[in-house]
Amino acid sequence: MLRGIGAAALAGGTVGGAAALAGCAPSASTNQQPLGTPSFSAPPAGEVTIWDRSGDLYKVFDKAIASFTAKYPQVKVNHLAVDINAKLPSTLISGAEVPDGAFYDDALIPGIAPQLFDLSTLIEPYKKDIAPYKLGVVTVEGRVVAVPWDLDPGLLFYRADLVEQAGVDPAKIATYDDLLAAARTVKGKFPASKPLHLEANEYLSQLWLDMFVNQQGAAIVDSAGKLAVDTTPYRTALTWLDKVRAEDLGTLAKYFEPTDVNTLDNGTQVFVPWAQWFVFGPQQLLKQTKGKWRATALPAWQAGGARGGVMGGSSFVIPAKAKNPQLAWLLYEHLTFSKTGYTAVYGPNDVYPGGINTSVPSYLPALSGEALFKPVAELGGQDLWKVATDAAKQVPGGYTIPVWWGKAVDYLGVNLQRMLNGQMSPDDVLSTSAQQIQKNLVDRP
Amino acid sequence: MNMRRRRRVPLAPYLFVLPFLAIFVGFALYPMGFALRLSFTNWRGAGLLESVGLANYRYLLTSEDFWGSLGVSAVLWLLVVPLQVVLALAIAVALNRARLRGLFIGALVAPFVTPLVAMSQVWIVLFDKDFGAVNSALTAAGLPAVGWLTDPTWAKPTLALLVLWRTTGYAVVLLLAGLQSIPPEVYEAARLDGAGAWTQFWRVTLPLAMRTISFYVVIATLTVFQLFAEPYVVTDGGPFNSTRTAGLYLYGHITNSDLGLGAANSFLLVILVFGLSLASIRILRPREDS
Repeated sequence: MLRGIGAAALAGGTVGGAAALAGCAPSASTNQQPLGTPSFSAPPAGEVTIWDRSGDLYKVFDKAIASFTAKYPQVKVNHLAVDINAKLPSTLISGAEVPDGAFYDDALIPGIAPQLFDLSTLIEPYKKDIAPYKLGVVTVEGRVVAVPWDLDPGLLFYRADLVEQAGVDPAKIATYDDLLAAARTVKGKFPASKPLHLEANEYLSQLWLDMFVNQQGAAIVDSAGKLAVDTTPYRTALTWLDKVRAEDLGTLAKYFEPTDVNTLDNGTQVFVPWAQWFVFGPQQLLKQTKGKWRATALPAWQAGGARGGVMGGSSFVIPAKAKNPQLAWLLYEHLTFSKTGYTAVYGPNDVYPGGINTSVPSYLPALSGEALFKPVAELGGQDLWKVATDAAKQVPGGYTIPVWWGKAVDYLGVNLQRMLNGQMSPDDVLSTSAQQIQKNLVDRP
Repeated sequence: MNMRRRRRVPLAPYLFVLPFLAIFVGFALYPMGFALRLSFTNWRGAGLLESVGLANYRYLLTSEDFWGSLGVSAVLWLLVVPLQVVLALAIAVALNRARLRGLFIGALVAPFVTPLVAMSQVWIVLFDKDFGAVNSALTAAGLPAVGWLTDPTWAKPTLALLVLWRTTGYAVVLLLAGLQSIPPEVYEAARLDGAGAWTQFWRVTLPLAMRTISFYVVIATLTVFQLFAEPYVVTDGGPFNSTRTAGLYLYGHITNSDLGLGAANSFLLVILVFGLSLASIRILRPREDS
């Protein structure tokens, strides 16, 4: 009898233990239903767990969340600093300790889209006020899967002192041909310079190339989802970059690695077409040239063309397995679409006395109001808010990020680097990359 | 009567192994089984598991990227493991009877316990082509600067140097433990037979340390074929995928939610590393006559 009970206990214990533990294992189903408009009979109450990146951004959001809890005192926000890029995908798969909301890179959103709530109904009232580019980025297979947060417009950063000495008027750099001519003039004056930045990091250079392509109203896939690498916008951008390389007008360096920082500081680099977040360099990394950099709009690819393009960005996602998705939505709605919310994030605070100036909101009414952050001392007191919001308003829409964008770096990003090292022509980059991406990423079952 | 006695199986041993068994099934067996199942699907982390049969395996086995990543790992293995074993053995032999051994071991192990990301950043600064200390020294000596991390020819050796520098201390500690387990009487007997230091090394030290060396080669093989953090931080697999190790290639599938392919890649890697480990053990096993 005892033996029978023991054997049953052993078997039961083993199976039970395994089953309990297996509960933490991946589940094959998910909730892809739209999240409805919250209906609270009483003041909203409850607890939400929110993930943000660690570091200064966490501190800033922590302060901004206080403005939310002041509005909804019965909501408790467990605000956690997490290495989100590393932990969110596995958490969503395992279903264990899933947060109610998280800050996440736009480029990575399509990869986790099936595990997120469809926010289309909730976003609908705000749709017309969201930058078209950003709306495209957070829309995956017709579903809005994230609350669009920031916009990272590309700008042309330049050394004001050197261009002045070379007799170049930055206000007259209206097209990329003008920029090339300006670079030649600067090099004529300072022969040791290689005035234009060329990005050497494979991932960032693909992101950078996509900024140039987005500026021309295109993306790596067209509106039908068809691969669009071997097309005119990519050819135009690559031909220009190859010209910079061939004329020895570019410094090939990895973003803010030693070669980059040193050549930015010693006058080798004079023009950097990059996202707004380049401002971090003059503020934190560059020692000799602090205060000598300025920003203006990107040149256009054709006279009169768009002078805005986006490089990077982040949004807020609400996992389909969240326990309190409606409270998470309420928080993100407050931060993104209410003046109190976005001002609390971008405006001056203890962490950033001048406010956050590395991006601007993607909510268009916020761009038209008063400046959220102060002029930047490290840019000689320039009003970066005006430059960035003017550029942001010009960013074309029609941009989508396919689920395999990150993996395309192994082909497009790598081949772009081969071109910048003089080993491939623009046509080779495009035809080879298109073929590789089609075979390895698009056509694979 | 005897039969009846044999059937009375004591319960206690099974109850003792029960916690381990439950944890093993839940945390090892079940995930492995699920991963194996995943490897036959195109699952991206949500939705139903749709079978694609052997497509993931077929894709990988015919993929230049997969074989390229294995090639990178194989080259790194050749650059790291043989040299490291020779170096670590030489240091271990030298330290075996040295004074202040603890001090030397502490110094050797320091890179192994230093946070990898911090060390990788130091590597980036040291080996920067234009402003790194290594090239500054070379150019000061009238030699040309080398693209340590930007030239595909040099990126692998530079990465291998980082792995060597970081893990050789650990290898020394392991081999030293093996050397210290050799009874002094064996050396004494060899000396009485007229064996000099060199003969003692070849005839006593090396054969008796072979099990430890074999064990370390297996560990090093596993480490190199799973190498991830160093190439991720220092080169991110570049330039031109020349440092994209098998571990880094696998990571690319996982971070892009290509979980079916990632699972298939994992199983192929397990088979390969298992085969390499068996081969290492077989080649390095001590011979009976020694």
